[in-house]
Amino acid sequence: MVLESFLSSVLEQSAPILLAALAAMITLRANILNVAVEGMMLVAAFTAIAVGGATGNIWLAFFSGVLAAIVAAQLLSLVTLKFNADFIVAGLGINLLAAGATLFILERVYNSPGGLRPIAFPALWHVPAGSLSFIPVLGPAMEGQSIVTLLALLAVPACWIFLYRTPIGNYLRAAGEDEHAARSAGIRVGRMKALSVTISGLLSGLAGVQLAMDKLQFFLPDMTAGRGFIGLAATLFGGGHPLLTAAASFLFGFFGALGDRLQAFDIPSQFVLMLPYAAALVGLTFARWRIVMRNRPARVTD
Amino acid sequence: MQSFTASLRALVAPLSAIALTMALGFVLVAAITDQPVQAYRDLLFANFDSWRNFGLFLNRATPLALIALGITFAFRAGVFNVGGEGQLFAGAIVTTMLGVALAGLPPLILLPLTIVAGIAAGALLGWIPGVLKVRLGVDEVVVTLMLNTIVLYFTSYLVNQVIRDTTAYGAVSQMVPEGIWLPSLPGVPNATSGILAAVVLALLSWLILFRTKWGAELRAAGTNLRYAEAIGIPAGRRVTDAMLLAGGFAGLAGALYVLGIGHRFEQNFSPDYGLVALTCALLARIHPVGALFTALFYAMMLNGAAYMQISTDVPRSLVDLLTGLLVLLMTARVVLSRRKA
Amino acid sequence: MSDPETILELRGIAKTFGDKVALKSVDLSVRRGEVHVICGENGAGKSTLMNILVGIHEPTAGEILLNGKPITIADPIAASALGIGMVHQHFTLVPSMSVAENLFLGRHPRKLGIFSDRQAMVARSRALIEAYNFGLDPVAPVASLSVGQRQRVEILKALAFDAELLILDEPTAVLTPPEVEELLKVIDTLRRRGRTVLFITHKLREVKAVSDRVTVIRLGESISTRNTADVSEADIARDMVGRDVFLVGRKGNAVRHFGPPLLRLGAVTLTNAAGRRLLDSVSLEVRAGEVLGVAGVEGNGQTELAETIAGLRQVQAGHIELDGRDVTHLSVARRQELGLGFVPEDRLDRGLSRTMTVAENVAATNYERAGILRHGLVDSARLARFAADKIREFDVRGARPATPAGTLSGGNMQKIVIARELARSPRLLLVSQPTRGLDIGASEFVYERILSTADAGRGVLLISSELSEIFALSDRIAVIFSGRIMAVLERAEADEITVGALMNGAGRKAA
Repeated sequence: MVLESFLSSVLEQSAPILLAALAAMITLRANILNVAVEGMMLVAAFTAIAVGGATGNIWLAFFSGVLAAIVAAQLLSLVTLKFNADFIVAGLGINLLAAGATLFILERVYNSPGGLRPIAFPALWHVPAGSLSFIPVLGPAMEGQSIVTLLALLAVPACWIFLYRTPIGNYLRAAGEDEHAARSAGIRVGRMKALSVTISGLLSGLAGVQLAMDKLQFFLPDMTAGRGFIGLAATLFGGGHPLLTAAASFLFGFFGALGDRLQAFDIPSQFVLMLPYAAALVGLTFARWRIVMRNRPARVTD
Repeated sequence: MQSFTASLRALVAPLSAIALTMALGFVLVAAITDQPVQAYRDLLFANFDSWRNFGLFLNRATPLALIALGITFAFRAGVFNVGGEGQLFAGAIVTTMLGVALAGLPPLILLPLTIVAGIAAGALLGWIPGVLKVRLGVDEVVVTLMLNTIVLYFTSYLVNQVIRDTTAYGAVSQMVPEGIWLPSLPGVPNATSGILAAVVLALLSWLILFRTKWGAELRAAGTNLRYAEAIGIPAGRRVTDAMLLAGGFAGLAGALYVLGIGHRFEQNFSPDYGLVALTCALLARIHPVGALFTALFYAMMLNGAAYMQISTDVPRSLVDLLTGLLVLLMTARVVLSRRKA
Repeated sequence: MSDPETILELRGIAKTFGDKVALKSVDLSVRRGEVHVICGENGAGKSTLMNILVGIHEPTAGEILLNGKPITIADPIAASALGIGMVHQHFTLVPSMSVAENLFLGRHPRKLGIFSDRQAMVARSRALIEAYNFGLDPVAPVASLSVGQRQRVEILKALAFDAELLILDEPTAVLTPPEVEELLKVIDTLRRRGRTVLFITHKLREVKAVSDRVTVIRLGESISTRNTADVSEADIARDMVGRDVFLVGRKGNAVRHFGPPLLRLGAVTLTNAAGRRLLDSVSLEVRAGEVLGVAGVEGNGQTELAETIAGLRQVQAGHIELDGRDVTHLSVARRQELGLGFVPEDRLDRGLSRTMTVAENVAATNYERAGILRHGLVDSARLARFAADKIREFDVRGARPATPAGTLSGGNMQKIVIARELARSPRLLLVSQPTRGLDIGASEFVYERILSTADAGRGVLLISSELSEIFALSDRIAVIFSGRIMAVLERAEADEITVGALMNGAGRKAA
């Protein structure tokens, strides 16, 4: 029982990180370090809550949230691909713009700079209790998870199939790995990058929607709290491979869930909260250290 | 002559980014208020309405300028240091901790001690991503972002659980002893003399970067690391040196904030100085003297927004929005023609 | 009037870049099914010509006729649609992808509309590989292939696009000798299958070995087209050079006197992570006043040799002596203080910083020596004066002290690197591929500098994969193959055949 509920909270913690990581991964494969995942998540979270609160329609809230993130992604791809802006700088710009714009709207439209908490908010579909209890351990852990968590889990094989089993995915990887080779094969490199940024927007949107709509059903100005960056770390940790990236995301999610459990003990909450970030930092360093060690020249044996 | 026109040309891009952003902002302001001119006047010039406002403006500019100077060194060495915020917090908290813990020491000893400790704390935090990048090739953007969050949580723990001022409202520490408060700027009450340090250091940074062999080596390492290695420059060390400096500058910003402005550590003292300073450095084309001016410009906007909010119904977060726009557009270039050669 | 045998005809092709004339007037006629070599010195305009044929450049004047019809070639995609395929010197392969995936990059066969049909890709690749007898595994990742194998993938890629006319741009430059042999066989197969091959090279041996006809171009003009069987290597060489270009060579029979050794390598060994020996017990000696040439096909350890001597790589065994001092464990900077000058093989990679100014690049290691510092600070007037002096002395065209180095041409960048390194008056000058990508004028200048350095009683270690360069400059010639020094020959006893055989790894001989 303890195991099931812990597993359940690992899944819950991992879902937004996993989606953010996949969002960063898909651009990384097109040779773009995407630091804007954080901002795109924030935009999605805000839009979902605002639309859900205003209309009471769950699907309208869901889709408008995701769409908002995709629009933000288009803005990023416009300034970088069309106007040659630096990807990291423009990505940070998206983050600042997302934070600034949501805060501005909170102050101006809702008159509540602290956050947005609609009185009534429709519930997202969750796996009904007891429906999966026939599967040992994993079944109960899945119960109560939102549909977005399920989508996150499905996104891993979907990304893998896209990247390795479809022509477009292959072209995208080629554009990221060797622009010159891709171009000489007739691949439109700019278009591939734009596509990767768009998919990244979609996945970031899902991550943001999950954060805002799963349990909380309200919006806070800093609610993404660096999860986009943890996702980025997970991607780098996983070397841009979908399965390894997913594994890294679950690892960081595990530390998040572990932190929640530790709060029951007499450990200051701040240490608990920093756990996934510290884990990401150590994990990333370790991954690089192993590569460096493996590439050391061999000793001469004679 | 040639270099003069070249530097004029270098100003065109950042100035047009600023102009475009301000114009977009004006359209937005005009849409939501019927006194857009008043709003913009306050945003830009209310800082000069009184000595008090002017002092607050300088106080705002000081940490910004210092962090931006440090980031200039990092950028020149090829490191994208997004860790200014964490380095700033490290400097501020260590200065406060020492100031509170060793309050009994004579100010003449305690003051330099707290400043040096603040610098060292920031420098250590800059050194970590630097050395990880040089030795293992770990991406510095991610490392500095992670370190920011970790340091923010850690300072939050310290200020809440260890050195909290229980009589005050909010997460603030006890005061550092009055003996080590920095004097205010002569002639401008309540303005920190820390701004003088920023001005002097801006000139010094220019001298170091562009008029010393060490600076040339640092820039060589930043523009082409493999070239720098080949001509005998200890390139990796120059990169970590630059990050030590970047962290040190941010740490100094934290120390001077505590000693000259806040007199204690406040968990929410920074309106994301780290990231705004990064903006300033980039906007100044990674030039230290330019960074001083962009920091002043930004301080003007940050404080002006508050005055604007009072006198008109434009929320102050307009500045956050404009910052986002500015950063987004800052490095954009319009490539006019791309004809085949 | 067009000959049905002619697949491609060029008439009066010219190309200028700004005020620089790359091609004056080139006429060329290629017959269907032949192997046609285009031969010329570096800078003669071969690459420009080929880039015109694949649509990278547009000609300023002239006509291109394919199968008798005038055509314009908009871009590489259009070229391949017309049946013109190009194999570049720098491969356009994605290393992490398999051979089959690379062959079908940009045009994967599909199944169910959205998925890649991998079985079809592999099957068609296998058929193609077998048809040309290329001996490749279609599912092997390109990263795991040797350079020669990658080149074959590149050729197949062009063939898979149904290229009738295949252009190979200096294909042997990156190959080891056995791989060159393989390539020549591949070209023979292509000819037998009715493909037309346009082969660009400046290596005379290959011209004779592979071609039916040869066209020589010199300084942007086509000089002659002849049947290969009717001409000797000497004939081709005369056409290529046109005048006595390399007068500045060492005279083979002149008696010269050398001083004590300035550089000595003793059994230097360098390994990679897999344990392969990149340098295998290399022993060499460079004496004062001599140019020691290290000949070899690229990729046989030359890069590693240069970087090891420069101090950029640490040896796993052996020792290095500079001017009588053991420098094996000293830093790059210390070695330079002790008298080492280093001109790296790739100026953009290790030679200079493109964004920094000419002055800063030239002064980088000379601040103290040239008195540029005053009170420990850089005196910008002195810096500019020093740079202006060097620009004049080394004839760096189009450069001012404040110009960013990256805006200069390759030859002028190379002059900056050489100016910087020679400004220290190094006891030993290590130069690697010093004239790569340079035109004849700049090359001659570099040669003069190398020789005058040796004449001044200093030592020069010249690493080059251009045999003509080695022969023109060296007093002694060492041949490197697979990380080993095969032999060190006196200039007088060395000839192209001996050295060529040693570069092949054949005829091992004690040094």
